[in-house]
Amino acid sequence: MYGLSEELKEKVIRLNSNLCNKYNELLKMDIGEIKDYIDENIGEIVEIEKMNSAEIEKYLKNGGIIGVDGSKNRIGGAYPHYLEIYQGLAKSSIYDNSPIYKADFYTPLYTEEESELIERLNGNEEAIKNYKLAGIEVDVALEGVKKYNPYAIMMDGSLIRYDIECFEKWIELRRECENRGVVLIGVIKDIKTSIIGENLAKDKILHTAENLYDRELLYGLLKYGEMIKIKDAVAKKPKEGFTSIFMRSSNAPSVIGMDILDTQREHIEEMARLVFTLTPENSRGVPLWLDIVDSEVKISDKMMRSILQTYLDREILEKLFISERDKRTL
Amino acid sequence: MKVVGITTQQEVYVGSKDRNFRINEFLIIMDEVQGDLMGEVVEANTYNRYIPLNINGDLVDSSVLESLRAIGYNIDEDTIYIAKVRLINEAQYPVETGSDVRVPKFHEVKDFMVKANKEEGLVLGLIRNTDQMVDDMDEELKNILYTFEDDKLEPQRGIPYILDLKSMHQYPHIGVFGGSGSGKSFGLRVVLEELMKLNIPTIVLDPHFEMDFSEMQEYLPDDEKEDFIGKFKCLQVGYDVGVKFEDLSPQDLKNLLDASSTLTDAMNNVVDILYKRKDSYQSFHDRLKMLSEAQEEGSQEKIKKRIEEATTTSETEAWKKRKELYDSYDKTCPYSSVKGIFWRLKKLYNEGIFSNDIHEIEEGLKLGKLIVVQGSTRMLQVFSTYLLNNLYHKRRDFKDALYKHTTSEYFPPFFIVTDEAHNFAPKGYECPSKAVLKEISQEGRKYGVFLILATQRPTLLEETITAQLNTKFIFRTVRSSDIQTIREETDIKEEEARRLPYLKSGDVFISSATMGRTIYVRIRASKTRSPHTLNPFDELKKYSKEEEEKFYRIIKDKLPINECQFLSILGEVEKEYGETITMDQLKEKMEKLVVSEKIEKVATPFGDMYK
Repeated sequence: MYGLSEELKEKVIRLNSNLCNKYNELLKMDIGEIKDYIDENIGEIVEIEKMNSAEIEKYLKNGGIIGVDGSKNRIGGAYPHYLEIYQGLAKSSIYDNSPIYKADFYTPLYTEEESELIERLNGNEEAIKNYKLAGIEVDVALEGVKKYNPYAIMMDGSLIRYDIECFEKWIELRRECENRGVVLIGVIKDIKTSIIGENLAKDKILHTAENLYDRELLYGLLKYGEMIKIKDAVAKKPKEGFTSIFMRSSNAPSVIGMDILDTQREHIEEMARLVFTLTPENSRGVPLWLDIVDSEVKISDKMMRSILQTYLDREILEKLFISERDKRTL
Repeated sequence: MKVVGITTQQEVYVGSKDRNFRINEFLIIMDEVQGDLMGEVVEANTYNRYIPLNINGDLVDSSVLESLRAIGYNIDEDTIYIAKVRLINEAQYPVETGSDVRVPKFHEVKDFMVKANKEEGLVLGLIRNTDQMVDDMDEELKNILYTFEDDKLEPQRGIPYILDLKSMHQYPHIGVFGGSGSGKSFGLRVVLEELMKLNIPTIVLDPHFEMDFSEMQEYLPDDEKEDFIGKFKCLQVGYDVGVKFEDLSPQDLKNLLDASSTLTDAMNNVVDILYKRKDSYQSFHDRLKMLSEAQEEGSQEKIKKRIEEATTTSETEAWKKRKELYDSYDKTCPYSSVKGIFWRLKKLYNEGIFSNDIHEIEEGLKLGKLIVVQGSTRMLQVFSTYLLNNLYHKRRDFKDALYKHTTSEYFPPFFIVTDEAHNFAPKGYECPSKAVLKEISQEGRKYGVFLILATQRPTLLEETITAQLNTKFIFRTVRSSDIQTIREETDIKEEEARRLPYLKSGDVFISSATMGRTIYVRIRASKTRSPHTLNPFDELKKYSKEEEEKFYRIIKDKLPINECQFLSILGEVEKEYGETITMDQLKEKMEKLVVSEKIEKVATPFGDMYK
């Protein structure tokens, strides 16, 4: 069982040396040099400070902060015998404001109610599922805005995702926030952009850099509390109406990103500081508030199973959604 | 409050978001199918899923929590409270999960908690964690006691625990267990106060000289103070009470001698042979003495020689008597056994056992008084054997006579109370007082004789007796072997046994056959106090201070004193001080006064001067 195939071992060893070669140039570069380049060409590197409690209390008086996150889980095997469940949560930092939950599901076995959606998305499975999750998150956020009129909404993940995956709903949320003056931000745990690498390659400083992601380049580069305000000129997002920053918010060497509506860009530094303040120093860099929301919205496997076992007929469950894989015990 | 998780017919978990639970509190589960079910909290927990501050593997620091609080979110508010509730009566089906739970009203728990009224029962304390049911409690149960908590007297807040005295007829005898400092003696004191209040005849064996009820607790408000003088009597073995030798049966005598020091078979035999009905101490003593003297001579010839050589008639008579005894008893009574009996008898006599009788005790009991018999543990062992046998049989004879339609003198039912009971009825070896206690534990119920046995070490108490103790008061106990014994002997549950080492002094689990379950009680504030309450270290300080004051008063008028004058004033000081003082002691005492700055010491050409 623990026998390792010789070939597999060889392949992993080769992968390691290839990766080393690929990143060799980057690893050899002077940190100061890269930082200078970023400061000049990508965006100013500034150091931010945590807020004191007087500053933070301002948020309490002005409606609090709402954290928004979604979760999905799935049971079953290959198409079409599966069922996905989605749950979204908007939770206000003000304890008396009760949390807003919404739920939805999708299964290819029953699409009669979704015909309009399927038509719009040309029957693209992936797009439908993304729409459902993103849509539900925007829905709870919108309800939160209307119900509690918070100071700010903090979404888990990039705002651009909503723009792509559920455009109409997103525009509605955006308008509502702009009209009411509710600051809308997205906190990105895993940044997937490659702005710096592309610019490095373009400026012929590091010609292999084109394929490097920001996350690789920025790993360990920023100091605790440093942030990069990305210039609109280099970022790709402005056309969708966002402004972004990168920031190292904890002692972990990785960086996180943050999006804000470009119409609200005057709040960018303030929001960066808020995110920084709410992030424990020794953590992965995510604001605690989002972690709390995340843990409350999460649909665990156990929960999923018990819900379905309780409320679906045994026969339906077995026949449609229990895959051969689920029954495997070895 | 709602029932959560998996339920059974006996136990459920109850969860609440805003109300914390307390152990031993009562709750009513409103099961939709089975109706209201009564349960008791046996375990209480709180849980916050964000504390121990590990969220998705991240350690949370306090500054972030502080910031969260500033934006309105207090992580503590996500704390939930969970209680494990055991149903008082098993349900027919497992309880419905999701059933609502509420706090009961007094009338709903009355039957479980109150078994007697205060006029007929012993008001011993407060049932813990019942304060929320006080409002609609019957008026006659309100304000009948005080508790003493954290050095403060507290008015009654909760349902009183009243021990039903009448049920003792069915479920006799009480055991009081607990380590030192657990409140055991204090609990016993409260029980005795209540017995006195009801004028129940009681006999207390008190090896610690602590069961004196003449000193009242000052903390009680004046109108609550109760005077017990006239309701109890302290009697010391050897001074106030003793054994009347003429009343002893051979068995009594053997028991007494045996209690003094274990008897061999041969010695038992000697008593049987030599002890005659109507013997007085003197006659029995003389017989033993003369026989042993004769045996010391060694043979009939030698005694004959003694008779012949006697110079006076009285001496002749005396030796003749000795010869008579020697002739009749030497064969059956070996010298060493006779000697053994003789010195055991002497020892008892010297201790004063035979100097009095138990008449005063009997009279006291007949008047419904509490009689405290004091003496050293050994003296009490000796005396109680005789005393308890005697009293028990008096009561028994009276009851038997009633049954047989003959007449006998009235003797009342009574309680026997003792601390350190394992000394009187030890496990593993025989001891005369054990036999009588065992008999009473097994048959006393029929005759109305009840035991209250207190001990620190239930493990060392005779098992047959422990098994007969139908009500048990269990104070703080730390030794695991004792906890094990308690678990075997009572209906105490796992959860309660785990709490035993942590009980506060004066808190007690009462496991009683009448209640059918264990009740958590705070013993009420006592009305009287033990004479031993002064801290020994305070006492030491007080004593040395008094001594110093006394010496200073004497020396004050004689100042200044030069060292060379010591000898001349020594006699005077001695006389006033009332004790012999040496020169060295005098100097030492003077130095002590210098240290405490009462007098001053100055060096002069003629030696040191004190002024």
